Amino acid sequence: MPGIDECLSGAMAIAGARAASLVDWSSGLALGSLGESPTGDHEASAAEATDLVRAAVESQTFTAAEDRSSPLEDIIVTAGRSYHLIRFIDTVFDSRLVLHLWLDREAGNLAAARFRLQALAEELVLG
Amino acid sequence: MSATAEPTATSTPAEPVGRPDPVVPRTPAEAVALLSDRRATGALHGPLGSLYLVDGLVTAAESPRAPGLADLLTGCGRTTPGDWFELLRLHGPHGRVGAELVDRRLLTRGELELGHLGTLFDAAYFVLADRAGGTWRFEPDARHWLGAVAAVDPARLHREAERRRRLLDRIWPWPQLDTAPVRPVEHHRRPSHRPPGRRRCELLDHADGRRTPADLARLLGRSGFGVTADVRRLAAAGLLDAPHHAAPAPGQAAQTPAQAPQAPARAPQVPAGAAEVPPRPPGAGGAKGRPGGLHRRIPGATLRGAPATDPTGAPARPPAPTRSDRPPTPAAAHPPAVPDPDIALLTRVRDLLEARL
Repeated sequence: MPGIDECLSGAMAIAGARAASLVDWSSGLALGSLGESPTGDHEASAAEATDLVRAAVESQTFTAAEDRSSPLEDIIVTAGRSYHLIRFIDTVFDSRLVLHLWLDREAGNLAAARFRLQALAEELVLG
Repeated sequence: MSATAEPTATSTPAEPVGRPDPVVPRTPAEAVALLSDRRATGALHGPLGSLYLVDGLVTAAESPRAPGLADLLTGCGRTTPGDWFELLRLHGPHGRVGAELVDRRLLTRGELELGHLGTLFDAAYFVLADRAGGTWRFEPDARHWLGAVAAVDPARLHREAERRRRLLDRIWPWPQLDTAPVRPVEHHRRPSHRPPGRRRCELLDHADGRRTPADLARLLGRSGFGVTADVRRLAAAGLLDAPHHAAPAPGQAAQTPAQAPQAPARAPQVPAGAAEVPPRPPGAGGAKGRPGGLHRRIPGATLRGAPATDPTGAPARPPAPTRSDRPPTPAAAHPPAVPDPDIALLTRVRDLLEARL
């Protein structure tokens, strides 16, 4: 049965993965991180990713037309050298969690990585 | 239970100023760091909760301000309070509640870790952010009922608590709000005044002027810090206030939160800290006046009954003026809805001053 460490190891096994973090976006806390951080500090990166997540979750534009309980599935940032995939995790108790994967653009495949990250997020919660 | 404490190395009074003494802890965080250095196992009990250590690492934290794993699980219907108590009674003494939750498939391993870490950091924030002193007691070899799920380095907990404190002050520097009964201001039902996000709407709907942020967190099964931050966001937007407590005037807003926890933490409270660790007198917990702690008022009592004492020991603030063009509701005392550039400036000045301390 996977725990946080197995989930993050699984994310780092995705082709092109540079870093993976499990972030509580109610507080900006990194519950766990693996790999190199884009800023050199996983804790600071988690807090900044939280700002992005919060902006999306709290905007009517991205959520108004969606299912009320879990309006967003993921946020993808495409940059020149890398991708950032931020996957929302649903838990039975109230928690606001995302799985953040930093992916090398040349080595990684965005569609495959997104698919795999979704499976990892589900396994983490469903066992 | 023993009243002896690991940090009780000396009863020499600590120097009131200067660098922290390496032996006598002045704050909860220093006490935990000291215990961690000694790879201690046991529970550190303070006025706002307890931290459990195993070999110097924090494995669990509890605080009345933060809902625990039990609240999360009963809140979402995974278990009933009766079943939970039974589980605790049978497996708590052996520290096997966590393992049992997974064995019975009430939680997956991942859910247990997520829930546990979330509640640990949540409770630890309230325990560590309490700089008011009070009585701290170390209970050697005490083990938490949950058992081994995750262990966190106390330095990490301390960094996180500091980050959260700064985050709250950036949102809206009004720490009194964290412990006060809160309620929506009168116009909150107008659609134009609904806050963004389902969670904050829900919070606003349950704030009734009697519930504190901690009550709301438990009621809604959410993290104590998450609710505290959302309450400050709602207050910053002018949608929620604490009816019985005057909001800081813009000038005070920048000064109060920084000084409330900082200033008195240095000299006078040191002997009461973990240094001596006398047995905790009954009722020493929430009843004592703390910076940021509030007098609970009975709804309907007169404003005169609430002394606007300043925790810094400065002269009491006059109650916020009631505007005459409205009914004399406490809503008139809520902070301005428009972010005040003065506050941002003063907050920055305060941060700079703090950084030089």
